[in-house]
Amino acid sequence: MGYELRPHTADVAVAATGADLGETFAAVADGLAAATCDEIPATGERFSLTVRAEGLEALLFDYLDRLIYERDVRGVLPVVNEASVHESDGGWLVEASARGVPFADVTARDVKAVTYSEMRVEETDGGWEAYVVLDV
Amino acid sequence: MTTREFDDIQLERVREFVWEMPREGDMCVPARVLASEALLDEIGEDKTLQQLKNATHLPGMTGHAICMPDGHQGYGFPVGGVGATDVETGCISPGSVGYDINCGVRMLKTNLTYADVQGHEEELVEALFANVPSGLGGGGIVESGIDTVEAVLSRGVDWALEEGWAVEDDLTHCEDEGRRPDADSSAVSQKAKDRGKNQLGSLGSGNHFLEVQRVTDVYRDDVAGAYGLEPDQVVVLIHCGSRGLGHQTCTDYLRKIEKRHGDLLADLPDKELAAAPAGSELAEEYYGAMCACINFAWVNRQLIMHRVRQVFERVFDRPWEAMDMHLLYDVAHNIAKKETHTVEGEERELYVHRKGATRAFPAGHPEVPAAYRDVGQPIIIPGSMGAGSYVLRGGEASMDLTFGSTAHGAGRLMSRTQAKQEFWGETVQNELREQNQVYVKAQSGATVAEEAPGVYKDVDEVVRVSDALGIGDKVARTYPVCNIKG
Repeated sequence: MGYELRPHTADVAVAATGADLGETFAAVADGLAAATCDEIPATGERFSLTVRAEGLEALLFDYLDRLIYERDVRGVLPVVNEASVHESDGGWLVEASARGVPFADVTARDVKAVTYSEMRVEETDGGWEAYVVLDV
Repeated sequence: MTTREFDDIQLERVREFVWEMPREGDMCVPARVLASEALLDEIGEDKTLQQLKNATHLPGMTGHAICMPDGHQGYGFPVGGVGATDVETGCISPGSVGYDINCGVRMLKTNLTYADVQGHEEELVEALFANVPSGLGGGGIVESGIDTVEAVLSRGVDWALEEGWAVEDDLTHCEDEGRRPDADSSAVSQKAKDRGKNQLGSLGSGNHFLEVQRVTDVYRDDVAGAYGLEPDQVVVLIHCGSRGLGHQTCTDYLRKIEKRHGDLLADLPDKELAAAPAGSELAEEYYGAMCACINFAWVNRQLIMHRVRQVFERVFDRPWEAMDMHLLYDVAHNIAKKETHTVEGEERELYVHRKGATRAFPAGHPEVPAAYRDVGQPIIIPGSMGAGSYVLRGGEASMDLTFGSTAHGAGRLMSRTQAKQEFWGETVQNELREQNQVYVKAQSGATVAEEAPGVYKDVDEVVRVSDALGIGDKVARTYPVCNIKG
């Protein structure tokens, strides 16, 4: 369970697995952080976020987009992500948290955006898996 | 007839460097790949051709969906893709512009020669790196609030001129004089503006860079003369885009379109191609927002260019005007523009999507700035840190073949993950310095590895095809002296 960075000609892909949806989403978010920097320092405070969307792929897209937004606006790199995913009012909800490492503490590269290209969120025998291409 | 097959996709050779993917199934139009055999072999290795085929499904697509010689796999539309859709019956597709709206390149000229710079490379690269924000969280040249962002979105480089970050001459040497008249800042979300306000005047990272270069070759004396380029001259190339503001704008509209035009999306083979039907509210809103992001990106490159002038003043101890540090031109390579093109003898207004492709209007076209109307629009094709870059001019054949477009760079060949396994940043940096006399400084060694010369296609071959097809004609070649990146 966890994530792997996968090759993509121009960008970077993240393949993640988890026992449940929340663990899988958090693993993708950790992959996003890994695509941004190689070594993660132990600094920073945790912060929380909640995102709603109409479907599971849309939720994963919006969750990662929100992390990128928080990164730029708070000036921190979100790492060590935790998430739980539920159905809610006919849609989906992710309640998540991350530790925000101040930019000053880390040498990081920009990931521009999350894409829908080749995105998958699928249930497997052992849990869930997801695949996301990030625009670098 | 010569044919080539890649997975399930067959290409027929139309003539030298022109390959056609015939229309079949739900494709609205056929597709074309402009490439030599060698480049086609590389294009066929990843999902570029499938993505090109997918793009032909966009409603109102006209002529062909076209892949430039530097094409490679992206997301949705391939990088190096050109697609023109009818502004009345077609669509506009944020995913076919890309996240980095008006990512582009500009070239700043100087009257310095390579000999003037030799011995100063170390000082120059350090000073540029210290003064031009790059990487993640590096801030911007201008500390801006929301009011500044609004002004930049609405007025483009006019704002920079008023604030002392530009001179008149910069505007007359930029497409649209650095200001998109269709910009609508109210169509850009607060989220996007929040991201943009800390990043105005910054390179970012990935493949973005700033490079001091020397002109090594001139191929067309008359055009090079009109551009003010000569052998041994030092120039500066700046490659970046609209930063988080543009990325957020593309993301916002992808999601809005997905929610409002799900029926259209359901007919497309890739959700990332998300398109708003022509004439719809979202098509108008996105076009206004995209044009505002174009302004933001122009100002971003303008601020960096003006800062480069200040750095040169300090390093070479004379005013920038005395070094003739004038803008050659600024080209966008992630953009959609309403343009008029002749299709089968009929004039039509089209949204020309160029995703990793550069406008290449020839001599005489009314949209080429007056300064270059007699010779054609300058096109800047950046190569990797170890290869040359090129200045081309819009070719006579571009209007017929490519909706007035050509390539945008060398095009990636190797993934970033593989690049980091094959190259070590510090080694690449040392080799470039010792063997090629190129001084590189980057925020992250990993970025140097990911952008190592070996990860790119042969830029010489890309330009050879562009020149032979007459879509972008070779004018001059440049070679790196100093390079900074995020």
